[in-house]
Amino acid sequence: MTFELFIFYVFATVTVASAVVVISSRNPVYSALALVLTFFSCSGIWMLAEAEFLAIVLVLVYVGAVMVLFLFVVMMLDINIAVLSQGFMSYLPVGVGVALAVVAEMALLVGSKYFGADIIPPPERHVAEYNNTAELGNVLYTVHMYAFEIASVILLVAIIAAIVLTLRKRPLTRYQSPEKQVAVRREDRIRVINMKAETEE
Amino acid sequence: MLENYLPVLVFLGVGMAIGVLPIAMGFLLAPRNPYSEKLSPFECGFEAFEDARMKFDVRYYLVAILFIIFDLEIAFLFPWAIVLDEIGMVGFIAMAVFLGILVIGFIYEWMKGALEWE
Amino acid sequence: MAYVFSPSDLVQVAPEIFILSMACVILIVDLFLDDRRRYVTHLLCQVTLLGAAVLTYMLGFGETTMAFSGAYIHDAFGDVLKIAMYVVTAAVFLYSRDYLKDRNLLKGEYFVLGLFGLLGMMIMVSAANLLVIYLGIELLALSLYALVAFDRDNKTAAEAAMKYFVLGAIASGMLLYGMSMIYGTTGTLSSTEIAARLVDLGSDDLVPIFGLVFIMVGIGFKLGVVPFHMWVPDIYQGAPTSVTLYIGSIPKIAGFALVMRLLVDTLPGLVVDWQAMLIILAVLSMAIGNIVAIAQTNIKRMLAYSTISHMGFLLLGVLSGTTEGYSSAMFYTLVYSMMALGSFGILLLMSRSGFDAEMLDDMKGLNRRSPWFAGMMLIMMFSMAGVPPMAGFYAKLSVLAAVVDIGLVWLAIVAVLFSVIGAFYYLRVIKLMYFDEPVDDSPLGGSADVRFVLSLNGLAVLGLGIFPAGLMGLCLQVLS
Repeated sequence: MTFELFIFYVFATVTVASAVVVISSRNPVYSALALVLTFFSCSGIWMLAEAEFLAIVLVLVYVGAVMVLFLFVVMMLDINIAVLSQGFMSYLPVGVGVALAVVAEMALLVGSKYFGADIIPPPERHVAEYNNTAELGNVLYTVHMYAFEIASVILLVAIIAAIVLTLRKRPLTRYQSPEKQVAVRREDRIRVINMKAETEE
Repeated sequence: MLENYLPVLVFLGVGMAIGVLPIAMGFLLAPRNPYSEKLSPFECGFEAFEDARMKFDVRYYLVAILFIIFDLEIAFLFPWAIVLDEIGMVGFIAMAVFLGILVIGFIYEWMKGALEWE
Repeated sequence: MAYVFSPSDLVQVAPEIFILSMACVILIVDLFLDDRRRYVTHLLCQVTLLGAAVLTYMLGFGETTMAFSGAYIHDAFGDVLKIAMYVVTAAVFLYSRDYLKDRNLLKGEYFVLGLFGLLGMMIMVSAANLLVIYLGIELLALSLYALVAFDRDNKTAAEAAMKYFVLGAIASGMLLYGMSMIYGTTGTLSSTEIAARLVDLGSDDLVPIFGLVFIMVGIGFKLGVVPFHMWVPDIYQGAPTSVTLYIGSIPKIAGFALVMRLLVDTLPGLVVDWQAMLIILAVLSMAIGNIVAIAQTNIKRMLAYSTISHMGFLLLGVLSGTTEGYSSAMFYTLVYSMMALGSFGILLLMSRSGFDAEMLDDMKGLNRRSPWFAGMMLIMMFSMAGVPPMAGFYAKLSVLAAVVDIGLVWLAIVAVLFSVIGAFYYLRVIKLMYFDEPVDDSPLGGSADVRFVLSLNGLAVLGLGIFPAGLMGLCLQVLS
């Protein structure tokens, strides 16, 4: 076994083990943390496949942002864990059955018959200067330009959807607005009134 | 290519060891004598009043989601910055359009007041 | 290999660019409008749709061309579907306007999200690349999730949106998984290249078939056919009726385009396999859709089950694998989207502020309240049931003819049997309208423009049934 293969098996084992924890843990916070570990080890596997940019984006976006939001939600929300895990045992046989069926089907496919080295030769290892990010960039902004622009429209719709669904105006909240405080002039606050001195009659 | 990442692997290994070893050592070596009072949460000598979890204002999530969207946008900028001299004007304009569409989203959320905390 | 950008690509996608730019403009303009002047947003949307229709018509109906390195296909088939979608969207926006206004939901975002959803569907209609197909689906889906939850203080709408989102995400994952298997075996994302390579690979390779199964799950979900139909009734019922109108009409056209682009254009090498799968989906959909619809008391839910059965019928045309079959399915889709538009449009017309026409009992005595619109609803129901001389009859007939042509007579018999069962619940609506006493006698409201377009809509369904040759010929022409 080469060193690389060894590393792959380490990452693969961690991925599967932490994925099992994600679905079996009773505490959603543990699940979320285990999912972080799953993403990390997945990113290791992608790195072994020389997809360095994707590996780093997985850590940056999923671990850095999405999972933090996730943790934020599950830690802060008032979730009744006991209710959530109800019915787990009754669904278990069905779930295991489906999982076994899928595993059996995948085993049929992902063998050497269809994905063997003689049918799909392993890609050549690249030299040290090889830059996967540059390869990606070379096609993403040119050949796949159309798809790239659609992606930005999807992000725009996500912005609109998030705001439509959550933003509420609260007219009654009181808050300071620093720009108004700074822009205040003397005339706004003080009125000088000339009054005749009161004289005793 | 992978040999460039050997230091990262070593780093991961060392980081893992530093994270796991002290906890493992504490677990194995330190005297442990837990009882229920000791394990209960300490709240200034009172019984804990309520669960630490509570409903949070949805605005926190809105800010987080908006952050993720722009985080994703930035992820697209890295490969672009690397190959900008190869893809030329076409690539530049492609990214300009991409950013332009998101700027419209930004204007929208700004004008809508989603960035204000009130 | 250096990539060379050709500016003529931009001309090909001009309708998409136009819709996108106008949606952005409307999004910003709407920020500066107060509630009283919200009609400006609506008006701008109608102008946008008209402009896009003109653009598509002027640029379209020529030779089939590809753009953006083969990611975009510009053909007459796409042009016809796009123009149909503009028309239906314009009607959806018009019908929804008063309903939304009565419920304080008339916001610019409804229209903007509607336009972005339309853009997603246009992308699907003229996609020639797995990645673009997927992105089009996601753009549509994301807009729909937000639209379903649009009435955000409504608990059922929020629940419906949540269900839709979770199930939709799983379906998208399945679809993507299937696409990745196809990509893994062929090494390309382009539809035409995949089609060519699958023929080279031969049929003994299991992996593309396995990929096809996953793609079929995704398609099944997006179309809402049994056994991937669970979301349809809940979402139809839970969403505000104006959104149900949107979901029930336009995405059906896009769904048909999706089936054509994915199965017929990309995977023609697996025709035997997907034909068998579609037969199962079609029979199950017609059976469950028609039988369960009988048990419904909520008319939106009943129409949801009716949608499921109609999608089953639609698949009959596709699975025949012949040009006649495809064109009959296309005819069926266009007619169905018009029928859905009309029937939900009448539900919107019957709703007032504080009252949603949702239950079957709300249809009682419609004839007493408005004979004209009871007549329109009669046309819709007869057409959906497939009673001559409505358009729905001819649509069903041509689909059945396509199935009989390839020798699947048993399938045609099953289809006829289930549509006879289905006729029961359509006729029940007619019975309620004409023979029952109205619960409230107030005449129907609705502004003049809505009434006018709704009448046109109903007459079109009748007219297409009497003179189907024009549209049928057009469908046949763009597909051959």
